[in-house]
Amino acid sequence: MTYFFQNVVNALQWGSFYALIALGYSMVYSILMLFNFAHGDIFMVGAYIGFGVATLLVAMSAGGAIVLPGWLILILTILISMFLTALLGMFVERVGYRPLRDAPRASAAITGLMIGIILETGNLWLLGARRVSFPSLIQTVTYDVGGVILTNKKIMIVLVALAFMLALHLFVRHSKWGMAMRAMAFDYVVVPLMGVSINTIARMTFAIGSALAAVAGILFSIAYPVLDPYMGIVFGWKAFVAAILGGRGSIMGAALAGFLLGFIEIFVAMAFPSTLRDLIAYSIIMVILVFRPHGFFGEPYSAKLRL
Amino acid sequence: MQTVSQIIPAADKPRRVARVFGHTPFLAWLLGAAAAVLLEHLLGETFAGLVGLSKVPVLFGLMILMSKPLLFPGALLYVAVIYLLPLLCVAGLLTRPANLVAAALLRFGPAFAVIVHLALFYGVLHFWADISGYRELTVKFTLIAVLLTLSLNLINGYMGEFSCSHPGFMALGAYGASTFTLTLFVNNPLFGKALLPGFLGPWLFPLGLVFGGLLASLGALLIAIPSFKTRGDYLAIISLAFLFIVKSLLENLPFLGGPRGMGGQPDYAGLPVVFAWTAMGVWIMNNYVRSTLGKSLNAIRDDEAAAEAMSVDTRHTKMTAFMFAAFWAGVAGGLFAHVMRFINPATFGVQRLAEMLAMVYFGGLNSVYGSIVGAVSLNLLGEALRPLELFKWIFIPLLLILVMIFRPTGLLAFREFDAVRLVRPLDRDSQGGAP
Amino acid sequence: MSLLRVEQLTHYFGGLRAVHNFSLTIEAGRMHGLIGPNGAGKTTIFNLITGVHAPTAGRVVFAGEEITGLQPHRIAARGLGRTFQDLKLWRHMTVLEHVKMARYATIGYGLIGAFFGTPRRRREEAEIEENACRLLEMLGIEHLAEQVVTNLPYGVQRRVEMARALALDPRLLLLDEPTVGMTPEELNQMMELIRRINGELGLAILLIEHRMKMVMELCRHISVVVFGDLIAEGAPAAIQNDRRVIEAYLGKDTVAT
Repeated sequence: MTYFFQNVVNALQWGSFYALIALGYSMVYSILMLFNFAHGDIFMVGAYIGFGVATLLVAMSAGGAIVLPGWLILILTILISMFLTALLGMFVERVGYRPLRDAPRASAAITGLMIGIILETGNLWLLGARRVSFPSLIQTVTYDVGGVILTNKKIMIVLVALAFMLALHLFVRHSKWGMAMRAMAFDYVVVPLMGVSINTIARMTFAIGSALAAVAGILFSIAYPVLDPYMGIVFGWKAFVAAILGGRGSIMGAALAGFLLGFIEIFVAMAFPSTLRDLIAYSIIMVILVFRPHGFFGEPYSAKLRL
Repeated sequence: MQTVSQIIPAADKPRRVARVFGHTPFLAWLLGAAAAVLLEHLLGETFAGLVGLSKVPVLFGLMILMSKPLLFPGALLYVAVIYLLPLLCVAGLLTRPANLVAAALLRFGPAFAVIVHLALFYGVLHFWADISGYRELTVKFTLIAVLLTLSLNLINGYMGEFSCSHPGFMALGAYGASTFTLTLFVNNPLFGKALLPGFLGPWLFPLGLVFGGLLASLGALLIAIPSFKTRGDYLAIISLAFLFIVKSLLENLPFLGGPRGMGGQPDYAGLPVVFAWTAMGVWIMNNYVRSTLGKSLNAIRDDEAAAEAMSVDTRHTKMTAFMFAAFWAGVAGGLFAHVMRFINPATFGVQRLAEMLAMVYFGGLNSVYGSIVGAVSLNLLGEALRPLELFKWIFIPLLLILVMIFRPTGLLAFREFDAVRLVRPLDRDSQGGAP
Repeated sequence: MSLLRVEQLTHYFGGLRAVHNFSLTIEAGRMHGLIGPNGAGKTTIFNLITGVHAPTAGRVVFAGEEITGLQPHRIAARGLGRTFQDLKLWRHMTVLEHVKMARYATIGYGLIGAFFGTPRRRREEAEIEENACRLLEMLGIEHLAEQVVTNLPYGVQRRVEMARALALDPRLLLLDEPTVGMTPEELNQMMELIRRINGELGLAILLIEHRMKMVMELCRHISVVVFGDLIAEGAPAAIQNDRRVIEAYLGKDTVAT
């Protein structure tokens, strides 16, 4: 039983990464009706930016320029990386997607895919094929709750992820921009009528999605402090599937599907050899899609989009 | 006034070129290419030495440009003298007789004319590839890429869906055909002793390819059943999931070699075999998309409701086309396995998918020409840029992004490929002056 | 026996009642008008007859056979052609290809023919092409056969759609506002064309139209639908004087032109 709960904890952490990345996919997909195949690599770049910022801050701290406690460095790292990755996202939107607004949607998917390859290769070129390790910013504290091992990092990761999801939810629900996004997901044409330009919304969508990917990247680096340029491929495609599983137009659906994917993977690995993880996870996803073609919360005729 | 008179001849130049080569039929170009290849066989090495190259430039000097730029002028000279000069001279000189011959060939029936041209084309390709093993390998992979690109174009271009499972179909074909040949004709550690005498192998190899293709079709059926009930982006997701399932299934089947893959496929896929299968595949797929039955794919893409209302059985058509495309991807996979003579699951991942999509969208949607151009140019480019190593993977994606921005449907989209039109004579008397 | 019999057709979209107890009978060779204010459910009735939606209740009988709930392509193949309000042309295809496509159901050469270009395929394709050309000639657009439809003027596009529907060789043609957005000149030509199709080819036509004058001129029988209910049916003169129809149209301040 404790073994089971231990895995629930692990799955929550694992699912947090998927959920945060899936949110970015889902936003672009719901609002702009595009597959942003570069998003997995934006997550990877976000993790590397986080690595750079954290290393720099740690070095400055050690050098005595300004002495910061680890938790403050972490918060700063997250905020700065979110900002920088958001800029990257906006750049990707500007270069790869805006020129293709009127082109077939598949063409935009191809530019996304190519931008992803460029990001990977660029990273390889800048840092080489070696893996880098993320500096340890906070001391790991272990709690034993009835045999289930919790660490402060795990708790923090899940809480931070949930906090950002909640913030996004509130933003989309209650802010003026969020309303415009929902309107755009509902119908492309009405947004200019509301006095908001499509470009602004598109840029913002990419910025928010990328910022969340950066959060995912840093949280991932805290849990698994070894980064490599191909981490975006492994995570990106899976998170993409999770985003679609959530259903078009449903951001919370994407988050839930992300957690579900985390649970599936952890529990499959619990019961079967770990080599079977992908096989079983994707088979389950396929079966789910067969019975719920529009995902968990997607509406077949996009009559009612829950954003 | 003087400037005007100076401009006129300059503006006339393209027209003059058109006057010289405008009536040059495909046959004359083929003969010109034959002359060039012959010249390379006779004088290539000597001439390469003369212009300071250590050996014959393998891919038109493209690789030399990237690896040793200093030698590039020599390579350029080589290309000009050995290829361009004979090509242009022979094509120009033979324009008139070639037109007569082309007209005579057509009199025996269009099929005959096309086959003669194809045979000649193969001859040229064969002797060109004969120069080095590397050239031959590049040609083989390029031909296989044509097959893959065109079959993916059927789905993503002609039918307008977005399929991600093509590497999966290719894998099914590769493993299917390999299992077939390895079990029957070769003693190997995976499947034990050969069941049939080895000399039968090359003759039964087509069966193996068809077996691989059918296996891929079967996989396509699995995707097609749920996918084509619903509209929209459903296929993209489910085919992506399928790709991952196939890949990790292969990794988990120890009797197929598991993650380490299987090797030792017999050397059945020579250039003639690969060429014949590619030509046949292009021919059959082109036949399909030009029939009214196949045009229904375009109708479905452009407006599915209207297609239904005009009596098109959309679901059936989509499923058929998807399985048909998968079949050819499977055949291409089988050929690939026997050219590489080693396969493992990692060969058929997302990377391969990105490559195939790039070729389809670069060349052009809904176009056989586009698929050929996309596959050939990206393959040659990929080989030529090999010395750049990492930068190759920045250069090619950038190129593709530019193409997407300026021609979102690819370079040669929406062209109809008509082999008979291609081989007809081009002089005024036989065609009424039509270009 | 009547050509089309629609009995007690009812349809709900979710909880929304789009069509309620709608009945209609069309005799072979007749022209029947279907009118009603915007959003009355006219196009939904078309979609129910042609199988786009399966009705919640009721039956559709075409040429003596029940076709309720069949797939649209099967219904089309039985000889029920239609046009769309919003011109659903295939934007990358030529005029000729449009017309040929409607012969899909008659193709007998199958996949083998399609793959290998058998003599049978060549024969059938030639036949299809010949038929298509004849139709285009009848509609006066044969010179545009090789044009991609996107490049053509609107009035011509309407004709292409009409040609496509006629290529099905239908016994009944459903026209969904064929003159919407047309100039007066195009309008006259279209009316002439509809008359010819009805007269020369002897096709029965069910016409949705907003322009009262046109419907009154063309059709001998008219059904009026308001909010999914059939409120009147009969000859134009009777319809014009029907109290409920006048209420439905004039009771509101906006009247359809």
